[in-house]
Amino acid sequence: MHHKEKHAFEPKIIAFVCTWCTYAGADLAGTSRLQYPANVRVLKFPCTGRIDPVFILKAFQQGADGVLVSGCHPGDCHYIAGNFHARRRFAAFRKLLEFVGVDLGRLQFSWVSAAEGGKWVEMVTDLTERVRGMGPMQEFKELALEEQWSGAIDTPELQEAYDSI
Amino acid sequence: MTNTIDTSIYAAITEAIQGEARRILSEGHVSAVVGYAAARRKGSAQPVVITDAVRAEELIFSAACVNNLAVYLTKAKKEIPKTGKIGIVVKGCDLKALVGLMGESQLKREELYLIGVPCAGVLASTAQPAQELTGDTIAPKCRECDAHLPQECDFVPDRQPATPELAGKYRAEIARLEAMTPAERWAYWKEQFKKCIKCYACRQVCPFCFCEQCLCDRNKPQMVETTPRPAGNTAWHIVRAMHLAGRCAGCAECERVCPMDIPLNLLNRKMAKELKELYDYEAGFQVREKGPLAMYDEKDDQSFIK
Ligand code: SF4
Ligand code: SF4
Ligand code: SF4
Repeated sequence: MHHKEKHAFEPKIIAFVCTWCTYAGADLAGTSRLQYPANVRVLKFPCTGRIDPVFILKAFQQGADGVLVSGCHPGDCHYIAGNFHARRRFAAFRKLLEFVGVDLGRLQFSWVSAAEGGKWVEMVTDLTERVRGMGPMQEFKELALEEQWSGAIDTPELQEAYDSI
Repeated sequence: MTNTIDTSIYAAITEAIQGEARRILSEGHVSAVVGYAAARRKGSAQPVVITDAVRAEELIFSAACVNNLAVYLTKAKKEIPKTGKIGIVVKGCDLKALVGLMGESQLKREELYLIGVPCAGVLASTAQPAQELTGDTIAPKCRECDAHLPQECDFVPDRQPATPELAGKYRAEIARLEAMTPAERWAYWKEQFKKCIKCYACRQVCPFCFCEQCLCDRNKPQMVETTPRPAGNTAWHIVRAMHLAGRCAGCAECERVCPMDIPLNLLNRKMAKELKELYDYEAGFQVREKGPLAMYDEKDDQSFIK
């Protein structure tokens, strides 16, 4: 905690977006010169229906502190029903994540159309700020550390050494 | 507490199964019958496939007949379904798996001859095969069984199973976990998943894990770490539960075969509960072409989407 000044926490946000709506919306935000946090890394998919829950898991495992999944509004899907399928899959996936103990505050779903540059900005800003408030996503990192060191950082000395890296 | 459960009908059921197997094999209705036979250890049972009516006398039904034989019709014995109509001995819980597999186009009803078993319960994996069936030795799934009498089979021995009233363990455990904070739940599952040795017995025994290539075995790209260590284990269990959501028949075979005693069926049952609440869907009771995660309704809840 006392190292906070030294290393201000900048959340890593991974956004999985569909190419037809949200990606275009994010692009519009850019070309309209709207400002939004640089914390977000955007990954483009053909459709929200292609976004497998395992991608979200992988993002958390690779160090994401927050994940945004966004695509076309219902009725606007380029493939007609991809987002409807995604909606059910993610409704179920959220329940599963919640049951294994992932705080759902770190995971946001949204519909952002190609015309909604402003909504994209709002979405990314909100999630970034919320995750900033929640602090780093430790759960998956701790698992990874256990893999390497056969044990978590359970002494103050180790924690201090780790923080100062 | 040794509240004995009445399994006296099992002897008559054994006889009826043998008679029916003998009949359908000798009359040529089926090319094989998948059932249970006595195994070497006293009181134990093991799956058996018989193709000759003479061997019908090997078939048994007892509280040791725990296996869900449905797995033999999907992947464990791939050659079986190709040889014509198959007879199979099914408990109500196992029938749900067959029903689900029919919905997923893995089996055809007309290719099966279902010998349903009125079932009062089977032994937990922690019990010895010859042990008496009691409230303590019964498998957890039987405590909250809703399928003692299998429906719509080709043949069911005319017996009424004694259906014991027992407190549900899965239900209570799910409620206990739901009442925890996310951090507490994470700590609980972390301990559980940590134990996993990635033997994949749970996957091999599951009738619904029939993919030719499992996502978790792929390495280009690798989606789930293959190591039996914490991060890979957690991913494996989440992926497993997700892939079975809306499909799992609740036979609890995964949990039974897990050598590390990980409560796998808890995850599956939690998902079943959620899908029932969200989409009023219950797996296994009726052949349906699409599970809840393979279909949609334009009016589905989207309160979690901004
Ligand atoms: S769950 Fe029901 S049908 Fe299945 S073994 Fe137990 S009592 Fe029998
Ligand atoms: S996940 Fe377990 S309980 Fe569900 S069908 Fe597969 S083996 Fe049976
Ligand atoms: S059976 Fe148990 S130990 Fe083996 S892979 Fe499944 S959960 Fe892990």
